Formats: sequence, structure tokens, C-alpha cells
Amino acid sequence: MQNKRSIRGKVAIVGVGQSPSGRVPGRSPLDLTADATLKALADAGMDKSEIDGVLTGNAFASSFHRFSVALSEYLNIQPSFSNTLQVSGATAGAAVNIAAAAINGGLADTVLVACGDSLLTGMTPDMAIRAMTESRDQQYEMPFGIPVANTFAMTAQRHMKEYGTTSEQLAQVAVTFREHARRTPGAQKTDSITVEDVLNSKMVTTPYHKLDCSLISDGAVALILTSAEKAHEYTQEPIYILGGGEYYSHEHIFLMPELTQTGAVQAAKKAYEMAGVTAKDIDVAGIYDCFTGTVLMMLEDLGFCKKGESGPFVEAGEITYGGAIPTNTHGGMLSYAHPGIPAAWFHFAEVVRQLRNSCGERQVASAELGLVHTLGAGFSTQATTILGTGSTL
Amino acid sequence: MSEQKVGVEEALKKPLPTPDGDSQPMWDGFKEGKLLLQHCGDCGHVQYYQQGICRNCQSPNLQHQKASGRGVIHSYSVVHRAPGPAFRDDVPYAVLLVELEEGPRMISRLVGQDFDSLDFDLPVRLETIKVSDELFLPYFALNECN
Ligand SMILES: [Zn+2]
Repeated sequence: MQNKRSIRGKVAIVGVGQSPSGRVPGRSPLDLTADATLKALADAGMDKSEIDGVLTGNAFASSFHRFSVALSEYLNIQPSFSNTLQVSGATAGAAVNIAAAAINGGLADTVLVACGDSLLTGMTPDMAIRAMTESRDQQYEMPFGIPVANTFAMTAQRHMKEYGTTSEQLAQVAVTFREHARRTPGAQKTDSITVEDVLNSKMVTTPYHKLDCSLISDGAVALILTSAEKAHEYTQEPIYILGGGEYYSHEHIFLMPELTQTGAVQAAKKAYEMAGVTAKDIDVAGIYDCFTGTVLMMLEDLGFCKKGESGPFVEAGEITYGGAIPTNTHGGMLSYAHPGIPAAWFHFAEVVRQLRNSCGERQVASAELGLVHTLGAGFSTQATTILGTGSTL
Repeated sequence: MSEQKVGVEEALKKPLPTPDGDSQPMWDGFKEGKLLLQHCGDCGHVQYYQQGICRNCQSPNLQHQKASGRGVIHSYSVVHRAPGPAFRDDVPYAVLLVELEEGPRMISRLVGQDFDSLDFDLPVRLETIKVSDELFLPYFALNECN
């Protein structure tokens, strides 16, 4: 029946660090990522010599094709396991899942999973957007002027048509995450906004206004994963990987099987089954929020609400404190930071901190089980990771 | 010329398709105003994305047939903020996800700017737009009788 091989409880996140984020001029992607790494090592109480594996994504504002190798050189470490992964926005989840599998499989003992970029000050906004658009097909999509935003926009439009989802409901996602960011030190956007502000902001690509879209930022995050056996040697309470699942349903938006249901369904199913939990058990979530409508569709596909009901779900306050699933308590890519591929690393950092019970005034009460879902490229790539405290093992 | 200046000039160019071995016949077809779909001789599957094998049964027995050019709008989005400087003079424009009468979907663009008339499942027809002697792009226009 089920695949008996599993990473459940075998690997833990023992270190989390992040560079300054938002507008951070004059610092290269490697510098930012090294900064985050040193902070993660300090957080764990670990020496860099213990890192024998490095996984990263690539940085748009860096010329390195092998960012993980360049980062190792920059830190002067010589790992025996390294890769620079590219599954767009899902790279964060995929990297954590792969690091856990590599540790469990004996390829490495302690893996640095890090990513940094300077999309805001390392390149012009036009170049940043162009870098994003170059992830679309050069023959079948790009000649028509389709930004990656547009692929997400077309799924949202269809969701609105099929389920009556409204622009106000989309906007509520941005408003909720902005309120979360206002409690988070270091958030890029902290001025309070209303649904009306979102609807009155400039149209980017229908139905998305400027405030329905994620920010452009600089920043880096580093996570340090090690085996459950070693995890107790370090300073912090280990946060365990309980399950991982991914799904890659298509490359081109025109070959997406259905615009309103994504491969997150399959990715999450695999992760939940490995963890032995369901959506109802999850206390806190980090959901990739490149656009407001993306979050609505993920709430459905991850099983937090029924298909088509995410609009009313969000309006009823279910994704904030006191609701069914407090989500992106740091403010997400919509309000905390979006330095490109590293953006979803912040979701991991936040969920780990929530599970450590170290979030202060933005702490979700008695959070023990967390979910991080990252995705990319017009819902082409999907990665779910379930995390838990020692009490959930 | 500084390196940065080259970068800016690059950004001002529209990304134009470079046909490959799989797609050359399709791009040649657009020059003649035809949209060529691949029909599988073994299972009957019809595909727009040009491959060496059928996506349904992996047979290499594929023949090109001219599409009717008729389809409906499955979804769309009107772009107001250009994806880079190359498209700045084009905005606003509507990107369409067209579902062809033969079954496959494709990304295209609306001819003209009649955005108020756009709707889901609305009939559209193929219109190839000349970019250069070597390149025609498949756009779609709203049927006049809509
Ligand atoms: Zn076939």
C-alpha cells in the first residue's frame, strides 16, 4: 500500500537565520546568504565545520550557476553534498524535503538549506520582472507578453468565474497578511491597509491590483537540518520534519489539467500521509503568497476549506489568530519580503519559530504542528512540508 | 559600450521565439495563416504543443492538420503593467487562454483592445499577426457576431 520509506521524525531543523530583508542596498546575494548562514549557525550553537551538505536556489542578481558551490567557497567550507535546485517558487520546500532525504539516506549529516537574492536593489525593477518572465516558455508563452503574474491571474479569474470569488475576498488576504506584518520586526510593509486600498491600487494584470501582488525585496534565509540523533546537541528545541510531498503537473499553463485545482492536492496528500496527520490537525501554516488568489486556491487544495469556499473562509477571519488556520504570521511575500526564490524560506523560518514558541506577540497559542507549502511557475511546481515539535513524534 | 548598457538594450527587445526541430513546421504554418495541430495516427489525440511523440500514447505517428481557427476563451487577463520594457508600448493588452475547437488550449493574445467585451467561453477566431517576414504570431479576435 503506502510507501513504507519515510523521513518522518528522522531529521530536524536546528538552526534558523536571516539577513536583513526588504531594502538592503550594497550587499550581494552571496553576502546576504552568508550573513543568514552565520546567524543560523549561531542560533543552533554550531560550528560551520559541522556542515557537510549545502542546498540552495539560484539568485537572479548573481551570475553564479552553481550558487550552492559558490556559497560554500564564500563560507570556506567544503561539503560532500551540494546542489543548486530550480523548481521556481517550490524550491524552498523541495530543498528542505531533499535535505531531509539526504540526511536520512546517509548522504550528509548536517545540511545548510539557504537562499538569498537582491531583487530590489541588485537589479532594476524591470530587470527583476524580466528575470521572472524568462521562466515562461520562449516559444509558446513569452512572445505574447505573458508575465508569470498573468498565469496566476488567469487561474484566479477562472476561480472567480466558477465559484463567485470576489475581488474583495482576494483583497482580504493582503489586508490580513499586512496586519500580521505589522507585528513582525523587519517587515518591509507595515502601514495598515484596507480592502478598499487594495482595490484602489493600480491594476497590474486583471484581477490583480498592485496590493494583490507580492513585494520585490532583498534578503536571505538559512536553515540548518541535521539528524534526529544529533539534533539534541544544539541550542534550540529541534523542530522535526514529519512529512514531505511534491507534485509537478505541467510546465505550460495551457497544459495545466484544470485552472482551479492544482497539484497542491497531491503534494499535500503525500505529506499528510507521511506525517500521519490531516489539515484539521495543523496549528499554523506558511503558504506561498505570490498573489492573493494563490492563497485562496491553496487553502482549498491543502484541505483547509472546501473547493470554492476559500473566499468566505478568508472573509470570516479563518487565516488569522483565532481562526481555523493562522497563516503567514510574519506577513508573507505580500508584506514581509519577497526576494524571489528565497521568499518561501521566510515561511519556513516563521513556522519553525512558531513551533519553537518564540514568536512573542504574534505567537499562535500552543502551536505544535505546522505546514509550509511552496509553489511556483503558474502552479507547475508544488512542495509541501509538515513540521512538528518533539511532542508530535 | 558598458556591460550594463548592453543589458538595458537586451531588455528593450521583445523575446522572439526561436523555432526548434519540434516546432519549425508550426511556425512555418503561421506564415501561411495556418495553425497546425498534431493529430496522433494511433490514438486520435490532438495536441498543440509540438512534440516528437503523442502526449497520450507516446506514438511517433503524428500528422499535422490545419486547425479550424475557432475556439473559446477559457480564461484571460488584461495586462496593465508591462512585463519588462519591451512590452511597455503594448499595454494594456489581453492575454488569452484559448480552448481550440479541436480540444487543446493555447496561450495567445487578443487582437485589439475591446476588453469590455471579453468574457469566459466567448467564441474567438485565429488571426496571424505579422511581426517580420520570418515571424507571424497567432492572435485571436472576437467574432464580429458576438
Ligand atoms: Zn497517441
